[in-house]
Formats: sequence, C-alpha cells, structure tokens
Amino acid sequence: MTIQTSARSARQGETARVSQATRRIKKPASELWLRNTTVGVIMASLVLLLLIPIGIAFVGSFHDWNPLNGRFDFTGIDNYAELFADPTFWRASSNTLVFGILAIAGRVLLGLAIAYALFSKLSRWRTFFRTIFYLPTVMPLVAVAFLWTLMYNPQFGAINTLFGLDVNWLFDQRFSLLAIVIMTIWKDFGFAVILFLAGLYAIPEDVLEAASVDGASAWRTFWHIILPLLRPMLFFIVITSMIGYLQAFVQVLVMTNGGPGTSTQLISFMIYDQAFVKYNFGYASAIAFILLIITALLTAASWRMNQSALDAPRRRRFTHRSKEKTS
Amino acid sequence: MKVRVFALNAGLLLVGGIVVLPFFWMILSAFKSNSEILSFDQSFLPREWTLENFVSIQTKLDFFRLFFNSVFLSVTITALSVYTSLVGGFVFAKYTFRGRGALFAVILSTMMITWAVVIIPRYTIFRSIGLTDSYASIIIPAVISAFGIFMMRQSMDAIPDEILEAARIDGASEWFIFHRIVAPMSVNAISALSIFQFLWVWEDYLWPYLMISSEEKQVLAVGLTTFRGQYGTDYGGLFAATTLAIVPVLVVYILFQRRFIAGAASAALKG
Repeated sequence: MTIQTSARSARQGETARVSQATRRIKKPASELWLRNTTVGVIMASLVLLLLIPIGIAFVGSFHDWNPLNGRFDFTGIDNYAELFADPTFWRASSNTLVFGILAIAGRVLLGLAIAYALFSKLSRWRTFFRTIFYLPTVMPLVAVAFLWTLMYNPQFGAINTLFGLDVNWLFDQRFSLLAIVIMTIWKDFGFAVILFLAGLYAIPEDVLEAASVDGASAWRTFWHIILPLLRPMLFFIVITSMIGYLQAFVQVLVMTNGGPGTSTQLISFMIYDQAFVKYNFGYASAIAFILLIITALLTAASWRMNQSALDAPRRRRFTHRSKEKTS
Repeated sequence: MKVRVFALNAGLLLVGGIVVLPFFWMILSAFKSNSEILSFDQSFLPREWTLENFVSIQTKLDFFRLFFNSVFLSVTITALSVYTSLVGGFVFAKYTFRGRGALFAVILSTMMITWAVVIIPRYTIFRSIGLTDSYASIIIPAVISAFGIFMMRQSMDAIPDEILEAARIDGASEWFIFHRIVAPMSVNAISALSIFQFLWVWEDYLWPYLMISSEEKQVLAVGLTTFRGQYGTDYGGLFAATTLAIVPVLVVYILFQRRFIAGAASAALKG
C-alpha cells in the first residue's frame, strides 16, 4: 500500500514537472490555431446570432414595428404601457400561472411517486418501466400535440370512449386549459422520474438501513429521511420546469390556437400570435423582454439550486465511499 | 408482502398503460378507414386493415418528401453541431487562455435566452439578407450549440491531461490529439448529445415554418399543420401523418433507450 502510494506520488511529481516544462515552452502553432479559430467562431456566432438580435429586439420594443408595411416608428414606452393595459396579457399571465402550477405539480408528484415505486425493492421489470415512462419525453412535441388533439376529439377520441365521457375538451372554456395541462404532464413526467431516480440512488444505503434498524415505518422514512435528501433535486426540477413552461406554446398552437376565447392564451403563445400572425413585432418584442427578465431571474435561482443539488449528493457519496475504505 | 408486490407492480403497469396507449391507438387508427374512425361503434383494432391513409397523405402532400427533408436536416445539423461541440468542449476543457472562464460563463448564460426574444430579429435579418427558403437558414443558427459545448466540456474534463501531454511529447499534433485521442474517449457524451440534437431538429416547428416557403423543401413538423389546414376532416390522414412523424423517433428511442436515459440524467446532473 505505502509503496504503491509513494510510487504514484513519484509519478505524479514527474508528470507535474513535465507539464511545467511543456507549459514554459511556447505553445505549438497547431494549438494556437485550433484555439483561436474555435474561440473566434464561437464569439462571432454569439455576436451575430444572439447579441445583435437581442439589441434589435430591445430597440424594437420601443417602436411601432411592422415588417409588412415597413413601419418602424419610435413610440417610447407605448408598447409596454399598452401591454399592461391589455386584458389578453393579464389573461395570458394568469393562464400561464395556472398552467405552470398544475403542470409542475402533476409532473413532480407523479414523477416522485413513480420514481419511489421503481426505487422500492418490491418493484419488478425496472428497466422496462423506466424505458416506458421516459418514452413521451423524447417524442416530438408537435406530433404529440397532434396525437392528443385526436385523443380529445369529441366524436372518436380515445379519452371520451375510454372513460365514457361526453366532453368537448378543446372547445369548452371550462376544460381547454386543463386538457393542455393533462397532455403536458403526460409528456413530461418521465423526465422527473429519471431525475428523482438518480437522486434516490445517490442516497447512501446505510442511511436507509439505519432507519429500518431503528424501526422507522416506510412512511416516516420517506417523509423524514428521503424527502429532505431529495429536496435539492426537487427544487431543480421545479425551477427548470417553470422556465420550460414559461416558454411553452407549441401545444397551444396545435391544439387550441389560444381559444376558445382567450381560455388557453399563454404568454409565449401570445408572443407568437402578436409577432407572426398579427405582425406587431414591436409589441411582441416588449412581451418577449418581460418574459426574458422573468426567465433570467428564475435561471439565476435554478443555477444556485442546481449547485446545491450537486454538492449535497456528491459530498454524501464521498463520505460514504471513504467510510467503506476505512472499514 | 406478496399483496404489496402485486399492488405496486399493478400500479406501475397501469401508469405504463396510460403512457403507451395513445401510441398504440394512433398507430392502429392509422390503418382504419375514415368511415370506420367516425363510426359510432368504436373498436381498438381496425376491423378492416387498410393502407389508404398512407396513400392519400402521400398523394395530397408528398409526405415522404417531407419525411426525407426532415431526416436530411436532422442528420446534417446533428453531425455539424456535435462536431463543433466537440471542438468547443475540447478547447474549453483542455486549453488555458485568458478570458476562458468569462467566455464560458457567457456561453452558459445564453442557454437561458428565450426563443421569443431572438426569433423576431433573426427573422428580420435572415429575410433582409435573402436567406429565406433555403436550408442554410435552418442550418446556420443551429451549428453552434451552447448546450453541446457545455456538455462536451463537462465530459472532457474527466480525461486526464497526462494522456495529452504524453501524446505531445511523442510529437502528436493537436489535430491528431483531438481526433484520435480525445474525441474517441467521449463516445458516451457524443451519443447522448446526438440523440438530443436529432430530436430538437426533428421537432422544431416555428423556425422552419418562418423560413421555408416552398412545399418541396418543407419539413415534417410544419407539414403536419399544413395538412390539417387543408384537409382538416381527413382524420385517417392525420393519424397516418402523425404516425409517420412519431414512429421513427420511437424506433430510435427503443434501440438506444439506455443511452437516452443516461444522457438525460447526466445532462441535468452535470449542471
């Protein structure tokens, strides 16, 4: 053991010396070429495809901007003022809130329940089930939205047939948003299953063993031990879902086109609608900027959460392993 | 104990059934005639199997053309962007230079920029320089992927520097080190990224819808909405077209499901 470690440290010393030596020598031309080209191309694409467009969008949000008749007139903060007085915007905001809360709750609860069931020693065919639950997540969203439009069809749709209902899901103001929420949960819960499972497997076994030795019931173990340990993962899923659902619009575009009335208007769909149906580019840019600010705040929060989500299990795994070595 | 095992697995099976049922229903309905789909007496299996829906969507909108356009674009963009991500990841993981940390932070922060802010100016720019209705307009914005560079850097960080230094001492060029040593060691990250990238191009709707105007260049995701706009009551055709858009991804997923799932967990966990 000691011989091995000393040999290893000697080797490490050697490579450290070598790498110091190579670093002192001028970097080879091929390295400089590769590095400069790569950094140059990345910077150019950042500037051309992101920075300049964001600048244009920011300036455009203070203009009456219509690409069809070429209008681009400065109007100050009119777009923002109009936005806050627009009932559709407030309806879209409250719809986005309801949609987000329900979809996140469904995704998290279903994801957690199923991940815990798969984690349990009682479950069989784990790989098979994991494959099945993750399936909708990797299917193309436009096609899935079409599939669900057919599922909700009042004449022949599988949902009414299966449950013996007579509901016109997508054309009834009471159900249209709920219908989109259900489809979104179905599409997305599998991702939460995979993440929660990863979180569960990161919990060291001796913690769970200790709980069972102490005679804790399954429910108490879950509530007082597992759930607190999963909390960072839970926050991570909630915040990334929030960001994702703030940008959701394809399911609305395909399934209801914002209707009936304004019952399924979401903020991102409203941007699409204002920009590429009504061609109010300035107005759409103003909404987009507000959305960008909300998303930036949530992302900043999510990175912080993610950091702690990572640190916690890693630290635990590390102490777990070092314990194994000493024993 | 036995009862609990049964209850738990029955519950899982039920949710699994809810997940796969729409797919089976869609595929089977694609083989039903329109009159059977609309009949009062619904059945899960087609009473009479027919291919007429596939024939009709083909004659109405040339769906196989759209299908191959989507395959072409997805494969091209995936190949290009995975390669640029590899190079970018390599440079950020293995070279030290001034401003590396700052530039990488900027690349990371671009991932949170919403599509809605960028798409209007991009549309205006691409129109004014006359790039519309060409595949260049679809490919150019997708070639460099912040997510890809990030993912590759994370994976290449794990490759020990000693291997590279040893190769350099043996006289290997950086080009050789990248292509023959580092890239082959990143196979897992490459396959995970390829799968995601392929899916993102395959399901992208808005950008091709805005850029591509000629029918023979259109992609499948947009073709679906065009088809519904023109033949809204041809439900059999809709089932067949949707099946055509989903089943290839389904097959790829079943073949590579292990990598898909590992990729999903790592993409989220490595943040």
